[in-house]
Amino acid sequence: MKVEGTYTFAASRQKIWALLNDPGVLARVTPGVTALTPQGPDTYKATLELAVGPVKGAYDGKVSITDKTPPERMILQVEGGGKPGTIRATGELHLDEQDGRTVVRYSGDAQITGLIASVGHRLIGGVARQLADQFFKGVEKELRPR
Amino acid sequence: MIPASFEYFSPRTVPDAVNLLVRYGQEAKLLAGGHSLVPLMKLRLAAPRYVVDLNRIAGLSYIREGDGALCIGALTRHGEIETSDLIRARYPLLADAARVISDPLVRNMGTIGGSLAHADPAGDWGAAMLAGGAEVVATGPGGPRTISIDRFFEGTFVTALRPDEILTEVRLPQAVKGQGGAYLKLERKVGDFAIAAVGVGLVLDGGTCARVGIGLCNVGPTSLRAEKAARSLIGRKPDDAAVARAAETAAAECDPADDLRGPADYKRDVVRVLTARALRLAVQRARGGA
Repeated sequence: MKVEGTYTFAASRQKIWALLNDPGVLARVTPGVTALTPQGPDTYKATLELAVGPVKGAYDGKVSITDKTPPERMILQVEGGGKPGTIRATGELHLDEQDGRTVVRYSGDAQITGLIASVGHRLIGGVARQLADQFFKGVEKELRPR
Repeated sequence: MIPASFEYFSPRTVPDAVNLLVRYGQEAKLLAGGHSLVPLMKLRLAAPRYVVDLNRIAGLSYIREGDGALCIGALTRHGEIETSDLIRARYPLLADAARVISDPLVRNMGTIGGSLAHADPAGDWGAAMLAGGAEVVATGPGGPRTISIDRFFEGTFVTALRPDEILTEVRLPQAVKGQGGAYLKLERKVGDFAIAAVGVGLVLDGGTCARVGIGLCNVGPTSLRAEKAARSLIGRKPDDAAVARAAETAAAECDPADDLRGPADYKRDVVRVLTARALRLAVQRARGGA
């Protein structure tokens, strides 16, 4: 299952790159994350509680960032499992600066197994995009002064 | 397949049900026809702590016309809409949609309010209501408020309803002279979700389109409104060229995913074909009188 899209930020590429590499930010903006514990360079142990409408589940997993080319490209890998099923996803992020704005292009591939895959197959694409959008909206919020 | 344990409530009035939502918030789930919620509970994909059954609340099941609106109570079953003489005579968009929802067993239990509040992108009522220009009435602790259907679907299974609100009514503009509608669905077999479905609601005035709504089912993360396609017809004669152009625009506006029902390109083309057919049928019905 493939997901792709773009998101535009009114900030420099350096700024967005720094946010995407900040574990505190990742913990706050990744949908459903209740805990994110560093486990070595660019690797985190994650606990998620995700609710998509009536479907709620708790997942344990690992998030890692690889193939970094600051400040333009990174690969995010997410692996996790819970009662409803397991997910293994890889996403490539490209950051382009255009007139002081940063356009993030993402493309990802996810393998999903278990009950979620057999029952929710037709919904997973839409939900993945929805979660990606929530993630980037969260990053955008981090840009505003608090 | 046995659900996780839950506490069951069966309030007799809307305010009582709202109070339960206020008390239990996200831990509570409303039960209407149960044909989406109960399967999810049996698989334990959903395990609400509190289930608030709306079925014993009187006065939430009705279909009536007046004051410029068609009002349908949230607990009205799909089958009641399907067999309503009023709907059959004056609201072809709704009559068409009601008869292709799942199978008769589901239609006898499933409700229009439950279907809309569940906000499954494959729900037929979502696309039909977007085509018909509906409003929903949400009742919370502060009383009722209306929400335009255009702002209602926020995501897959996500709506503009607040956690302490109940969808109590659906309203559509009352049928006028020159009104036509149609809902066409392609499914792999009876009772399946749509590969794609298209709803059209329109009003012709002197041969040109005064109002057009086009709703698309199961070709995006939510029910979708083909806004550009609809707008391209306003003020124009719905001739073959205009219909073909609108159908192509609708196909470009939808956002299907590859899945067991077919690749995205195929679904896009199904949307194009169904949009053209639904528009032609709606126009034909509009010309045949209101």
